Amino acid sequence: MRSLGPPSEIRRLATPVAGLFDAAWQRMHWWIAVMAILYVCSGITIVRGDEVAVVLRWGRLVGDTPALQEHGPGLLFAFPRPIDRVVRVQAKHVSEETIVALTDQSPNEDVGLLATLNPLTQGYALTGDQNIVHAEVVARYRIRDVAEWAFYGPKADDVLRLEVTAAMVRSLGEVGVDRVLSDGRKDLIAAATRRAQAGLDRAHSGLELASLELTRLAPPLAVAVDFESVQSAFIATDTKKKDAQAYAETVVPRAQARADAQLQAARADTASALAVATGDASAFAALEHEYRDNPAVVRERLYRDAIDRALSVARVRWVPPPTNGKYNGFRIMLGSPAAGLTTDQAKQKAAQTEFEDD
Amino acid sequence: VAAILFQAMAVIVPEGQAVLITRFGRPLRAATTAGLHWKLPWPIDQALPLDMRRRVYETGHTEMLTRDKKNIIAMTFVVWRIADPILFVQSLGIGGVADGKLDGLLTNAAIGTLGGHDLSALVSTTPADLKVDQIESELLASTAPTALHNYGVAVEQVRLERISLPEENVTAVLQQMRAERGQFAAKYDAEGEREASRIRSEADLQAAQLLAKGTEEEARIRGASAAQVAKIYSAAHRVDPELYRFTRSLDSLDKLVTPNTSLILRTDSEPFSLLQSKAP
Repeated sequence: MRSLGPPSEIRRLATPVAGLFDAAWQRMHWWIAVMAILYVCSGITIVRGDEVAVVLRWGRLVGDTPALQEHGPGLLFAFPRPIDRVVRVQAKHVSEETIVALTDQSPNEDVGLLATLNPLTQGYALTGDQNIVHAEVVARYRIRDVAEWAFYGPKADDVLRLEVTAAMVRSLGEVGVDRVLSDGRKDLIAAATRRAQAGLDRAHSGLELASLELTRLAPPLAVAVDFESVQSAFIATDTKKKDAQAYAETVVPRAQARADAQLQAARADTASALAVATGDASAFAALEHEYRDNPAVVRERLYRDAIDRALSVARVRWVPPPTNGKYNGFRIMLGSPAAGLTTDQAKQKAAQTEFEDD
Repeated sequence: VAAILFQAMAVIVPEGQAVLITRFGRPLRAATTAGLHWKLPWPIDQALPLDMRRRVYETGHTEMLTRDKKNIIAMTFVVWRIADPILFVQSLGIGGVADGKLDGLLTNAAIGTLGGHDLSALVSTTPADLKVDQIESELLASTAPTALHNYGVAVEQVRLERISLPEENVTAVLQQMRAERGQFAAKYDAEGEREASRIRSEADLQAAQLLAKGTEEEARIRGASAAQVAKIYSAAHRVDPELYRFTRSLDSLDKLVTPNTSLILRTDSEPFSLLQSKAP
């Protein structure tokens, strides 16, 4: 065994160093103790209300499942560095990313009116019937798995943008342009969300999509007028239908009212005719009773009354009896009745005419 | 002394990273599991950290032909991670970038794979025609083994990000869209006319049916009324037909003689004759 030299020599060299340490301890032992305590306590971390923390011990994640790995708000006791490292993440915060890969990003708006699109600067997607639409999507997301997001997954912004773009392209590529621009938006969003979330899960992103919102979905500017004309035609069609329905709602009740009026008039006429007939019959029965007793008188009276009524109503011309049973050159002028005259006026006029004839 | 030795020899590998340990510059081993690892002090051993997290790479726009001879411009992206740190560093160098290698692999794979499918496999309203999942699987199968074997890179996903058309084809598509819109506008217009005409015709028919029904009912009521009236007059007639005919004749006379009627009577007839005759 190799000798390290005489003990007395080591003691002689070590004695001053030991003295220095001893003197330092005597003077600074409180400070050293405080520093040691502060070092031990440096592992204690406060996790805020919107945060989740995980602990890496010698670099390895503490806990086997997400429930055991993640620590909620409050005090978290961990060993000081380099033993433990606490990673705090704002997991409950909902972030937002606007996906513009499928929009027209050309700086000059007039470019959109050109009869073509440059895929490098004017993003778009093809629909299932090979039409072109621009789409802008806002993706809202939160961190679902802190460990995956922090240590295993790709950068959140990148993977979110790519997965949502791919999901939108694929979902738009299976439906027609008319459906997607009218009543198919809800289904489109649902399909894109499902696909984007599946992609994010496969990429171990640790992200959860809270929502996808279509902030723009429109055909290219070059054909926008043509789409608007279809919309106008659709509205005009609707207007025509509504006008026709309004006509139907008017003409049918009107016809019903006329039919009802006809029936009411018929019923009223029936009642009137029956009343007249019944009255006539009653009058005739009374007359017949009287007639049975004095037929000649009743008949004469009825005849005279009728002649009187006729003479009092009609225009009467009296002419002399013929000479020798014959009229020679005798003329009677009959004027047409004056239109719009009352009975008395007509008779007066007739009298004048007669006078003139004379 | 212990702290200095620990600092020189301990290698802490955090989650999501690996540490490549080289001895005199030659890759010795890779510490890929998170935790505490050891190495000899510098300058013998050196620890090179590597990011083992998944990464995404987005290819550029690549123009290619589909099986049905249609030009398309496709963009793809891959999700990849370092699977073999030593091979990765050896093939791409320390701090090497895999993007360029992946771009070449993906472009070749995309041209080959999409050339075996029609455009309808990418966009179609017929679900049976769509084969995007199959195409992405084929792209993955074409790139993943090569990337792993050559660069130590595990390609976990290949996705079609965008499908566009060359500018000259877009012009034709826009013209087609314009023509389709014109057809739709005309179709809507015609449908509107037809539907409005149908509604009006049905309303007119319904109105005519109501009026016809009303007229029919009216005729029935008037007929029944006339029959009843005739029955009443017949009953009166049966009592004394001669008197009935006489009274009816007088009634007719009342109705026939109006202020427009001219009666020509001789002066020797009644009642004028009374003026000329002597008192009885």
